[in-house]
Amino acid sequence: MIRAENVSYSYPGNAQTVAGLSFHIEKGEFAAILGENGAGKTTTVKLIDGLLKPTEGKMTVNGLDTAKSRVSERAAQVGFLFQNPDRQICRNTVREEIAFGLRAVWGRREEDKIRTRTDELLERFGFTGDEDPFALSRGQRQQVALASTLAPSPAVLILDEPTTGLDYRECTRIMDFIRQLNEEEGTTVVMVCHDMEVVLDYARRALVMAGGRLLADGPVREIFRDEALMKKASLLPPQIIRIAGELGEGFREADDAETLSSLVAAKAERRRGA
Amino acid sequence: MTDLFQYVPGNSPLHRMNPVTKIALTLSVCVAAFLTDNLFVLLALILFDLMIGVAAGAFRKALAIFRGLFKVSLFLFVLQALFVRRGNRLLWIVTDEGLSTAAGVVLRLLAVCLPLALVLTVTRVSDIAGALVQVLHVPYAYAFTLTTAIRFIPQFMEEMSGIMEAQTARGVEFDTKNIFKKLGLILPLCVPLLISSIRRTGATATAAEVRGFNLRTRASGYKKYGFGLVDLAAVLISAALITGAALIP
Repeated sequence: MIRAENVSYSYPGNAQTVAGLSFHIEKGEFAAILGENGAGKTTTVKLIDGLLKPTEGKMTVNGLDTAKSRVSERAAQVGFLFQNPDRQICRNTVREEIAFGLRAVWGRREEDKIRTRTDELLERFGFTGDEDPFALSRGQRQQVALASTLAPSPAVLILDEPTTGLDYRECTRIMDFIRQLNEEEGTTVVMVCHDMEVVLDYARRALVMAGGRLLADGPVREIFRDEALMKKASLLPPQIIRIAGELGEGFREADDAETLSSLVAAKAERRRGA
Repeated sequence: MTDLFQYVPGNSPLHRMNPVTKIALTLSVCVAAFLTDNLFVLLALILFDLMIGVAAGAFRKALAIFRGLFKVSLFLFVLQALFVRRGNRLLWIVTDEGLSTAAGVVLRLLAVCLPLALVLTVTRVSDIAGALVQVLHVPYAYAFTLTTAIRFIPQFMEEMSGIMEAQTARGVEFDTKNIFKKLGLILPLCVPLLISSIRRTGATATAAEVRGFNLRTRASGYKKYGFGLVDLAAVLISAALITGAALIP
């Protein structure tokens, strides 16, 4: 689905931002790209979308070389949700906003199809369609941007820090929706996220970056358990994994517990045993 | 492109010059460019601008600005050459007077824009505001407005590029090679740019207010902007530029 072969990229006049990236993301995967600020995460997802063309190596999405095809032509296949929804929203009503992207991808001749799909998304996201997107809350604007991104039913969905600035409820609503898409419709999801709790809750695979290079690639929980790797990438694992790690042998294996209370119960059990 | 208007630290005489003198020198180049119709004087002014770039240690930046202006200049040259009908016809509807007017317009544009951009390369925006308030007694609110407008240019350019990126990703054909199609697509982008500008302005106003914006007076700035020999030399050069442009036929 997404294949990076020794991909490097340098912004004009700057040193290499990402170098020697090689990975393969299969259809239906939910992968998170992790790393500190400046690690090259956003550059990597822009390379996947084709907004940036590799200066070396090759990036293919659905078999198409991103350097040889136009981003706007691939918009029906690859959706990109940006951190800032205000860069995407440009129409006066939510209905128009969703239809705008569809018209760009499907063309103006498909008005009936566009209307049907817009109605479907409005109902799914709980909008009437007449709302002024600029008057909505940050979380709701992010939902409008997500609805517009998903409108053409892309096979690949790229999320660049989708939960930044959202409260817990808004974050959960958006991420649950994305998980549903991934699990029920097989949409491949690639997400850049600084919230490790969100990564642990939703992603199944993690690619760890530092200094523009890929440090590790594997199942999320295994990645978070690797203390040396986390230190090298300047990342703090989710709380449950840290606590389990602090508690030591016997607890590390229990770090797949959903809540802290189950870990505390395990600790109490151990004390009783001792 | 966004870094073209950004300050480049240095210790050249131009960096050390009083910001007001730098503005005066820049304005004198502009005045000289508008006083003369002589193409050679205009060329000399452009050469002088590039020399300023060398003296500021920013020759590459001056060339980058020059290159950036070249496309606009080319477009203006063609327009002027086609629309001025006075003089002797040389080719199709192009006349000798049309060509000389077009060359004058383009050279004047280059001569005027280069120092305006270069002054921002050798002067911190905060120093421009400080010197305007302290030396020229400009009310701080006006100096702040001017410097904020300058400061916002690269931010707007970055915002515009981000918006275009976001719209391209959703299928709007900003990656087309058809320039007219691209121009037609820019209109919807004005909405997000306007909204983000208003939000940014509101946030800046609040930030300034909570930091005592209204309490600031001329005496509030701790940095003093004195005049030295380099300023005197600049004033003499400014006078020479204006006089030369006015006297050379």
